[in-house]
Amino acid sequence: MSNLTYHLRAEDVNVWFGERHVLKDVNLAFPSNQVTALIGPSGCGKSTFIRTLNRMHELIPSAGFGGKVLLDEEDIYGDGVDPVKVRLKVGMVFQKPNPFPTMSIQENVLSGLKLSGRKNSNTEELVETSLRRASIWNEVKDRLNDPALSLSGGQQQRLCIARSLAMGPEVLLMDEPCSALDPGSTRRVEETILELAPEMTIVIVTHNMQQAQRVADQTAFFLSEDGNPGHVVEFGATEQVFEQPIDPRTNDYVNGHFG
Amino acid sequence: MEKVIDLTPVARPKTAQPWSKKSPKFLISAAAASIIPAAITLAFVGLAGMDFMAALIIVFLPIQVIAAALVGISIYGRRGILESLLVVATIFFSSFVFVLLGSVLWSVISNGAAAISPSFIFQNNYYIQPTTDLGYGGVGHAIVGSLLIVGLSTIITVPLGLATAVYLTETQGKSKGIIRTLLQAMAGLPSVVSGLFIYAMFIASGITTYAGWTGSLALIPLMLPTVARVTEESLRLVPAELRNGALALGAPAWRAFAQVTLPAAKSGIMTAVLLGVARVIGETAPLVLTTFAADRTNLNVFSGQMGSLPTYLFGYIAFGFDASIKRAWGAALVILIIVAILFISARLASRTRTKARK
Repeated sequence: MSNLTYHLRAEDVNVWFGERHVLKDVNLAFPSNQVTALIGPSGCGKSTFIRTLNRMHELIPSAGFGGKVLLDEEDIYGDGVDPVKVRLKVGMVFQKPNPFPTMSIQENVLSGLKLSGRKNSNTEELVETSLRRASIWNEVKDRLNDPALSLSGGQQQRLCIARSLAMGPEVLLMDEPCSALDPGSTRRVEETILELAPEMTIVIVTHNMQQAQRVADQTAFFLSEDGNPGHVVEFGATEQVFEQPIDPRTNDYVNGHFG
Repeated sequence: MEKVIDLTPVARPKTAQPWSKKSPKFLISAAAASIIPAAITLAFVGLAGMDFMAALIIVFLPIQVIAAALVGISIYGRRGILESLLVVATIFFSSFVFVLLGSVLWSVISNGAAAISPSFIFQNNYYIQPTTDLGYGGVGHAIVGSLLIVGLSTIITVPLGLATAVYLTETQGKSKGIIRTLLQAMAGLPSVVSGLFIYAMFIASGITTYAGWTGSLALIPLMLPTVARVTEESLRLVPAELRNGALALGAPAWRAFAQVTLPAAKSGIMTAVLLGVARVIGETAPLVLTTFAADRTNLNVFSGQMGSLPTYLFGYIAFGFDASIKRAWGAALVILIIVAILFISARLASRTRTKARK
């Protein structure tokens, strides 16, 4: 692992909601162009953590934050850093597919450009490449002007992935992207993740342990015990975390003894 | 042996809703329970000469309740009593509201229709006496005045209402509670007070004489709470996931609002504007105090007295002649028609949008 470069690093990340300390001293380094899975039982803070990586976390009024998140060695929480600029580089796909209902499929793919006030001369090509990279092009190429909500749930989620990809992000965050999808759609989203991995750094939160094993190079196990703040119990190569976990709690969790 | 399955679709049979089938016993007893109480009541009114309203409450309602309870017991046993009482109560009270609304509409339409003619709608009221025959003169100037006064109010109020709603839903402002309380208080403001305030501010103080724009100002506090609250509700209905989706794409907050939240709430906001307009288009007191009245068409909302439909109606009722009261009914009908047109066009506008998206 010594020859890896780290695109994104979280250093001593702490999160509070109001007075409640929900994440304590999280240190994780995400290697460039690899997939990192965050696993752990509900309420352990993994979704909260992934939101700190593109500053979506701070949209919650009571949120508090301590620590650093380094993107290309620059702290995204540093003085004068614009969260809007951070989110242009760090895209996000949510748990529930959220295509914009008033827009067509094509408009959804291009919505990021419009929303960030960018211009792109070759929009047709961008729509096609983005949809191809999200492996949904063949299903929608003849109906690009149909409303986005006419798609099935799995297609909507891949459209949301395409929407993020159109912005050319360096990092893609996925917060349980398959938890609202059927097995067939899940498989296609996973294939998409594996195809994207060589080009960008991907962080995925998942409840599905098989999914983590199928797509992730690294896995981090989060846990919050007895009302204490969540923290990382174990972080390492996926194989090692699942086959030879160091911590007994990780062993219990990945083998389905709790959670 | 291979079995061939026929998969061609067949026409839907008439019996496709077995759950809606009613037994003959139910139909007969339900018909009896509906007809007998009404028949007895009509007999009391017709033969014994009882007052209709009194008969409705003293005779009809108790008999109907008992009849329904009997049917309920005979069909469902004991639980049928409450069920059938609920049905009777629902039908009785909803038809009461329906009759109330219908009778208002009917009296306006039947009395007002006689006055409606092209000349009544397009001519103004100049040279017309309260006793002048309906063939001459009309509410043209008042329609123009109402539209101008309410239009100017709408132009001022909608951005204010939208801004208020955005403050209440999209920001983390500290004074939301106070703003909401103020809006509620404003909704309870008697319209005459609003008119009096503008009168004292601008007219009694000598800043201006009666003019259309002072009327528009007086309508703002009446319209604002409706526009702001309904807009707030419709913005609140836009799921947070959409906002987050837009922000996660690197949108500045204002673009996320303008390009995602606002379009998603569009039909609700249109409803808000229309409810606001409907709220003030019939307001009389503030206009009497601020625009006063006029018989000539005045196209300048910034200068001179202005006629409007409610003040016209008020004035002509006050004259008390046969012809003038007919004109007042006509003006009332015109107000109703304008409100109906506004509502129907808003419905159509939001419907074409959803249809195009299907």
